[in-house]
Amino acid sequence: MDNETLLRVILLTPLVAAVVSAFFFRRSRVVAPAISVTAAGVILFASLALLLGLDPANPTASATLPGFALGGFTELETIGLSIDKNGAAMLFVVTFVAFWIHVFSVGYMDDDKARGRFFAGLSVFMFSILGIILANNLFMTFIFWELVGFSSYMLIAHYYDTDYAAMASKKAFIANRVGDLGFLVGIILCYKQYGTTNFAELGELIKSGEMTFTSIGLLLMCGFLGKSAQFPLHVWLTDAMAGPTPVSALIHAATMVAAGVFFMVRIFFLLTPEVLTTMLWLCAGMAALGGLCALGQTDIKKSLAYSTLSHLGFMGAAIGLGLPEIALLHMAMHAFFKATLFLCSGSVIHACHHEQDMTKMGGLLKKMPITAAAFVVAGLSICAFPWFAGWYSKDMILSGAYLAGNIPAFVALVIAAIGTTLYTGRMFAMVFLGNAHGHGAEHAKESSPWMTLPLVVLGVIFSLGAGWFLAGTQGLPWLDGKMNALFPASATGVFAHGYHDLHEKLASAGLVAPMFILGVVILVVGLGLAVVFYRTSTGEDKLREHSPVLYKALEYRYMDAFYGWYIEKVQQRVAMFVAMLDTALINMLAMRGVIGGVPAILGSVARRYIQNGNGGIPVFWIAFGALVIAAALVCGVL
Amino acid sequence: MSCASTLLQVAVATPLVAALALAFSKWLPCGAKKAIAGVGFVVPALIAIALLCAFPCAEKISGYAFYSSCEMLGVPSLGIWLQFGLNGISLPLFLMAAVVGVAAGLRALSTKNVELRGLYYAVTLVMFGGVLGVFSAIDVFSFYIFHEFALIPTFVAILLWGGYGRKTTAITMAIYLTLGAMISLAGLFALYFAGAGAGEYGFSFLGIAQAVANGMVLNGDVSVIFALLLFGFGILVSLFPFHSWAPDTYAVAPTPISMLHAGVLKKFGLYGLIQLGALALPLGLADWQNWIIWLALGNIVLIGLITMTQKDLKQMVAYSSVMHMGPIFLGIAAFAISGGDVAGLGGAVVLMFAHGLSVALLFHLGQSVYDRTGTYDMTKMGGLTAKAPVLAAFFVAATMASIGLPGFANFWGELTIFTSLADIQPAWLLGAIVLSIVISAIYGLRAVAKIFYGKNTGVALSDEAFENVRDITVSERLPALILFAALVVVGFVPSLITKNIDATLKADFAPAAKVFCAENCGAEAADEDVIILDGPLPVLPAVPADNCESCGEGKELILAKNITVTVSGAVEEEGDFVLSAEDATLLKALELAKADSEATFAVVLRVTARIPVDLDELRNGDVEDVPLEDGDKISVE
Repeated sequence: MDNETLLRVILLTPLVAAVVSAFFFRRSRVVAPAISVTAAGVILFASLALLLGLDPANPTASATLPGFALGGFTELETIGLSIDKNGAAMLFVVTFVAFWIHVFSVGYMDDDKARGRFFAGLSVFMFSILGIILANNLFMTFIFWELVGFSSYMLIAHYYDTDYAAMASKKAFIANRVGDLGFLVGIILCYKQYGTTNFAELGELIKSGEMTFTSIGLLLMCGFLGKSAQFPLHVWLTDAMAGPTPVSALIHAATMVAAGVFFMVRIFFLLTPEVLTTMLWLCAGMAALGGLCALGQTDIKKSLAYSTLSHLGFMGAAIGLGLPEIALLHMAMHAFFKATLFLCSGSVIHACHHEQDMTKMGGLLKKMPITAAAFVVAGLSICAFPWFAGWYSKDMILSGAYLAGNIPAFVALVIAAIGTTLYTGRMFAMVFLGNAHGHGAEHAKESSPWMTLPLVVLGVIFSLGAGWFLAGTQGLPWLDGKMNALFPASATGVFAHGYHDLHEKLASAGLVAPMFILGVVILVVGLGLAVVFYRTSTGEDKLREHSPVLYKALEYRYMDAFYGWYIEKVQQRVAMFVAMLDTALINMLAMRGVIGGVPAILGSVARRYIQNGNGGIPVFWIAFGALVIAAALVCGVL
Repeated sequence: MSCASTLLQVAVATPLVAALALAFSKWLPCGAKKAIAGVGFVVPALIAIALLCAFPCAEKISGYAFYSSCEMLGVPSLGIWLQFGLNGISLPLFLMAAVVGVAAGLRALSTKNVELRGLYYAVTLVMFGGVLGVFSAIDVFSFYIFHEFALIPTFVAILLWGGYGRKTTAITMAIYLTLGAMISLAGLFALYFAGAGAGEYGFSFLGIAQAVANGMVLNGDVSVIFALLLFGFGILVSLFPFHSWAPDTYAVAPTPISMLHAGVLKKFGLYGLIQLGALALPLGLADWQNWIIWLALGNIVLIGLITMTQKDLKQMVAYSSVMHMGPIFLGIAAFAISGGDVAGLGGAVVLMFAHGLSVALLFHLGQSVYDRTGTYDMTKMGGLTAKAPVLAAFFVAATMASIGLPGFANFWGELTIFTSLADIQPAWLLGAIVLSIVISAIYGLRAVAKIFYGKNTGVALSDEAFENVRDITVSERLPALILFAALVVVGFVPSLITKNIDATLKADFAPAAKVFCAENCGAEAADEDVIILDGPLPVLPAVPADNCESCGEGKELILAKNITVTVSGAVEEEGDFVLSAEDATLLKALELAKADSEATFAVVLRVTARIPVDLDELRNGDVEDVPLEDGDKISVE
C-alpha cells in the first residue's frame, strides 16, 4: 500500500471499528473487544509500515479526504492528512502504547458489564487522537481536539452510576471547553492574520519574515492549558481518574494530555518570547506543585495523576525554555513509563478487588512479582535512574533550565524532580513493601497474561530501553537503518537532533558531570527518604500520621475550591439575577405591561361602546394597532 | 412543468390533503386515521430526499430548480402569484422541514391518550404542510401566507392539547407573533412598493435575485425597510429581547408541535432575512449590523445564563433553542462585517438546518424521558442510563450535537460563522461570541448528568417504579434515528448540503457583496472621490467599483469604456444616455438630457448608493461634481 492509503487506513480504521461495535455488538462480551483490539493492531501495523517506508532524514507523507467550503472559508475544502518528523514520533508512540493498553483492557475489563461501550469508546478515542496527529492545519486540529475531549468525557463517565464519575466527566469536558474557547479564537485570528492555518505554510510564512503575535500565541496556548491540564485548568485531570484504569493510562497519562504538548511543539514557530516565558512559569510551577501534591493523596491513581500534571509541566517548561525537541522526547519517554505505572496500578487495583487506597495495600511484592518488577523499572525510569528512559529526557530539561541561566525555573524543576522520587518511592513502599492491610491485598494474586504481557513490553522493555538509541551519537541502527534501537528510525530523528544538540552545549559548558551527579543525588536522597519513611506501613499514611497540617496543605485543592466558590456564588447568582430580570422586566413589564396593557386600555375604552366584553379583544387591537403602525411606516418609507 | 416540479407541489399538498381527509373522517377507525396521517408525514420526506438527489442535475432558472407557478392563485398583473421552486439555500431547509416533519409525525402517531385524535393529526399535518410551503414557495407573499398557515395550528394545538398554563401562553404567543408578523408584513410591503417586484417573476425570491443581479435600485429607504424586516422577523425568531414567548410556548405545546415550531417554523424569519434582507438590502444590513451583533450577544450570553438556571428539561431545551438563534443572526451580520464574504450566510444556513434537527431530537427525547419519569423536573430524576441505555445514548448524542461537537452538522455551521466573524470590532466581541461553546456545554452536560448519570434520586420514581422503567420503544426509536442519522450524515459529509448553498450564495449574493467591497476598499480614497450630501440614508463612499482589487467583478467595469445612464424627471429628453467612462459626471449627463434650468434637486441612484444633489449648489460650484457609473439612474426635480 502507498503512503496515502496507509494514512487513510490509520485514521479511518478506528472509526469503522467504533461504529461497528457501537451499533451491532453493544451487548457482546467478546466481539466488541476483539474488534477494538484488532483495530488497534491494524493501526499499529499500518503505522509501522508507514514509518519504516519513510526517509529517516526527512519523514513526510500526506493524503487528503473530501471536506467542504463555504464562501471565503476554504480552509477545510480538502481534509489534509500529513505527517512530519514531529508527527512521526508521536504516531509511533501513540499507536504502540495504545495497542498494548487495548490488550491490557481485555484483561482488566473482564468482569465489566459494559465492555461494548468501553471498547467502542476507546476506538472513538483512537480516531480522535490520530486525527490530531495527522491534521495538517489548525482547524482540523480543533475538530479532533474537540472529539478527543468528547471521548475522554464518555470514558470518564464509564461508571456513570457513581455521582463522582458524573461530576468528573462533566468537569473534564467543561474545563477543556474553556481552553478551547481561547484556542478557537486564536485559530480564527491566526487565519485572519496569515490567511492560512496550514502548519507547513505558516512555517514558511514565519520563515520569510512574517511577524508573530503574542496574542495569537497566548490564545492558542489556552488549548494546551486545557488539554494538557496546566494551571489554571488543571483541576479536571485528578478527577478524571474516575474512569477505568486503562483509560487513565491511555488518555489521561500517555496520549491525550500529551497531545497539548505535541500541538505546542508543532506551532513552536508561532510563539513569541513572551508566550514562551508565560508558558515556562505556568508549567515549571505546575511541575513543582504536582510533584509535591502527589504526596498528599492515598488514592494510588490520584497520586499518579498529580505525577502526570508534574511531568506535563516538565514538558511545557521544556517548550518554554525553547527546547521543543526535548519536550517531545520527554512526551515519548513519559508515555512509556507513565502508561506502565498506571497499568501496574490497574493490575494492583484489579487484584485487590477494585481497592484504590494505598493505605489498604502492602506486601504485594511477593504476590505480584511481575507487576512489581514492571513498577520498579518504570519507577526508576520516572525518577531518572541513569540510562533508563526518563533519565535521557528529564535530566536534560533540568540541564536545559540551568544552561539557560534561569535559576528560579531550575529550582522549581529540581523540586519537581525531588517530588518525583519521593512519591514514586512512597508508592512502591506503601503498595509492595510491608504487610497487607486490607482484605483485597491479602488475597491478591498476579494478574492474567492479558495484563502482565503489556506490563512486560511497555514497562520492562521500553521504559528501560527506549533511551538506548540515544546512547551513541549514531544510535543503534538495524534492519538497513530503518530501525533505530526499538524505534522506527523516521520517528527518532527529531529526538536525536535536539538531544545531541543540547548535550554538546552542556559538554562545552563543562556541565555534563555536575548534572549527572546532581541527578544521582536527587535520586538517591529522594528514593531513600521515601522508602525509609514509608517502609513500615501501618495502614495509615505516614505523613498524615506525623504531620497532619502538612498533609492537609498538600491534599487541599485550592483551585477547585476557588472554582466551586465562583460557580456557586458568582456564576449561579448572576445567572439567577439575569433570569429574574428577564422575567420581571422583559416578560412582565415590557410584554404584559406595555404591549398587553396599552391595547387593554384601548380595549376597555372600546368595550364601553361595544359592550361585548370579549377577552380576545386585546389580540385584535394589537393586530389592528400593528397594521396602523405598519401602514404609517410604509407610507413614510414611500 | 417537469416531473420534479410536480413532485415539489405534491410534497406540499400531501399533508394538507391528508389533514383535509382526517377532518371528514370521524367514522374511520383509529388505524385508518393513523394510516392517512402516516402517508401525509412520510411522502414529503421521501420526495425531499429525491429532490436533494435530483437537484444538482435539475434545470435551473437563476439557481431555482423545480420551478412551477400557479397564476390562478394571485394577481400576476401586480407581480403576486403562487410560485414554487428550490434553490441551494431553500433546498436544505426544505429537506430539514421534511425530516423534522416525519419525526414529529411519528411522535404524534405514537402519542397515547390524546383526545380528538383525528384533529390532533390533522393539526400537525396542517402545520407540516405550512412549513414545507414556507421553504418551497418562492413568491414572497405566499411564503408569508404559508407561515401564517403553519402558525394557526400552533395556537390551536396549544389551546387544545397544551400543558400547564395553556391559555396564557397561547395569548402571549398570539400577541407576540401577530406583532412580529405584522411588522414583517409591513417590511415586505415596503419592499414590494420600493419596486422589488417588477420583474418577469414578480415579487418573488427569484424575481428579486434576478433584479439584484441586474443592478436593481430600490426606490425607498432601505434602512427602514431592513429594520422592519429585522425586528419583525426578529420577534418571530425570538431575537433578544423579544424572546419571552418562546420558552413558554415550547414548554407548553404538545411535543410534535414544539418540534415543528422550534425546529422548522422559527427558521422562517431567518430564511427571510437572508433571502430578502441580506440579498436585496445589503446597505440596510450594514446599517443595522451593530444592532444585530449586540442583540445576538444578548441571545448568547444572557439567554445562555438563563438556560443554565433551568430545572425543567423542556424549558431548558426551549431556552437553548432561543440561545442558538444568536450565532445564526451573527452569521447573517457577518456578511456585512466581513465585507461581503458569504461564508457567514452559509454557516447560518447550515446551522439553521442542523439546529432544526437537533432541537427536534431533544424535544422528542425529552418527551420520552417524561413518559418514563412523569416529570420534566431534572432535579427529581437520576441514573436513567441503567434502565434506558439507548435513550441515554441518543440523549447524549443530541446534547453533543446541540453544543456543536464535530461529527454533527451543527459544528460546521458554528465553526463557519465564528470564522466569518474574524473582522468584528472591537475584537473582544469574538471571545464573547465564542463563549457560547462553553455556556452550551455547561447546561447541556448538566442536564445529561442530572437525568442519566448518578443514581435514581427516588423523588420522581420510587425504586420499584425505577426497576420497571423500559428502554425506548421502536416507535420512539425510529424518529430519533431519523433525526440522528440526518445530523451525522451531514456532520461527516457536510458537502452534501454546503455545495448547493455555496453555489447559490456565490451566484446570488455577488452584487450585494460588491456593495460591501466598494465600501471597504473605498475607505482610504473616500475623502477625495466621494461627494457626501445630506440624505436620509446610508451615505456610502461612491467609489467606482473598479478601484476595488479584491473583488473580481470590478474588473469587468474597466473594460466598459462607455457607460449608460438613465435620466428622468424635469428634463427635456428623458431616457438612456451613453457617456465615456472618463468624464462621466452628473453635470455632463444633465447637459445631454437638457435639464430644466429651474430644477433644483437631483438624485443619483445606483446599486451601491443613493446620492442626492442640490443642483443650485452644483451649478455654482459649491459642491463637486458627481462621477457617474454604468447603470446609474438620475432623477431630476
